[in-house]
Amino acid sequence: MRSVSVVGIGETRFGRFPETSLKELILEAGTKAIANAGLRKEYVEALFMSNFSGQPFSGQGHLGPLAAEVLGLGHIPTIRIEGACASGSLAFRQALSAVASGMYDVVLVGGVEKMTHQSTEAVTAGIAGASDIDLEAGIGATFPSIFAMIAQRYFHEYGNVRDAMAMCAVQNHENALLNPDAQMQKRITVEQVKNGFPIADPFTIFDCSLVSDGAAFVMLAATDVAESFCPKRLVEVVGCGQAGDSLTLASKGSMTTFAATVRAAHQAYSMAGLSPAQIDLAEVHDCFTITQIINTEDLGFFVKGQGARAVSEGKTAINGQIPINVSGGLKAKGHPIGATGLSQIYEIVTQLRGDGGPRQLKKADIGLTHNIGGTAATCVVNIFRGR
Amino acid sequence: MKRCGAIYSFCVVHSSTEAFQGKTPYVLAVVEDNRKKLMARVEGYTEKTDIAVGMEVRFLAEDEKGNPIYSFG
Repeated sequence: MRSVSVVGIGETRFGRFPETSLKELILEAGTKAIANAGLRKEYVEALFMSNFSGQPFSGQGHLGPLAAEVLGLGHIPTIRIEGACASGSLAFRQALSAVASGMYDVVLVGGVEKMTHQSTEAVTAGIAGASDIDLEAGIGATFPSIFAMIAQRYFHEYGNVRDAMAMCAVQNHENALLNPDAQMQKRITVEQVKNGFPIADPFTIFDCSLVSDGAAFVMLAATDVAESFCPKRLVEVVGCGQAGDSLTLASKGSMTTFAATVRAAHQAYSMAGLSPAQIDLAEVHDCFTITQIINTEDLGFFVKGQGARAVSEGKTAINGQIPINVSGGLKAKGHPIGATGLSQIYEIVTQLRGDGGPRQLKKADIGLTHNIGGTAATCVVNIFRGR
Repeated sequence: MKRCGAIYSFCVVHSSTEAFQGKTPYVLAVVEDNRKKLMARVEGYTEKTDIAVGMEVRFLAEDEKGNPIYSFG
């Protein structure tokens, strides 16, 4: 396989933009990514588009040609990829594989989602379609309730970590204050999180990621080709893993360790020849506060059962041992589903290039992204190294 | 003999999709029944119900799609 690097990134601000169309979001983020790579768009050989809910929420399908037309990419091949909240990372992995194989030298990956023009109930129902519609959504399960059951089981096995869960939200909000693209620009406290509007015990509204509109794009190129034109620090994709698990919660071997994460992470670390201790920063899928804690354990940053204490001790904060979600994460930067995985990559590349501005980490040479779909039924882990 | 299950995990749902809005708050649980785990609604919840992992729940009926429903007490 050929070495592949990220050469361009672009994203919209995440937020509530009910009047902004899918096309406008695509145009802004896609144009930024192409310009950021310093390449003319004629060099883009294929487009991989991620989107979860264009059809049900906006009546728009066939996102591949839509995006290619908006961006003026001509007759290149396009495809739309869907894997619930992991859609963006899945599109990235397909694009990576297409360049690594030698099929293309330069490809564009994009993700877009428009959600806030729908009611909360409609969004909840739409997302619940990423669970089993007969055995879960059909009996009243929502994603908050599924992950709330995971939290209750975690409490049973490892003790009540309610305060540390709240601290995840507090930290991610704190980080988002330094990110101009973040939807949430508001400091919150542990008490506010715990006393917020109840969603599914033990979650309040502050334990849940945001409903967002937004788009994010990433340009990939074969590293040897990229060296000839890319003016910025090359960010090489050194590891990529993907694994799956049962769609339903009840069929999982464990509720408190996500098998798909463990397997995808193992693949990514093996491919990169790196260990968890060598990662400088990570963007980790925090769809709910408990999920961030479980994920940091499954990724090997902390021993199982110690993820909550690590948060409370500040180990995951921006100045901690392993900064988690410096961008603000799904909780505070936002979670426009199809764009999320690419937004995580946007943050890692920004940090590895040293372009993080007020949120720039002192040491950022190796970064990791972790993205799950559904009840951790799909997982992609990527590892990036600045050259 | 009455069919029973044990709560493996649970949650009280306060915010639902439109289809279940009249039912909130309601309890969903993963129930272990005859060594199999399945997700089910558990009826009979009040604010005084102290739910815990391991708690016994009684099989009540199947819904129209064949999904089992359990009950507290």
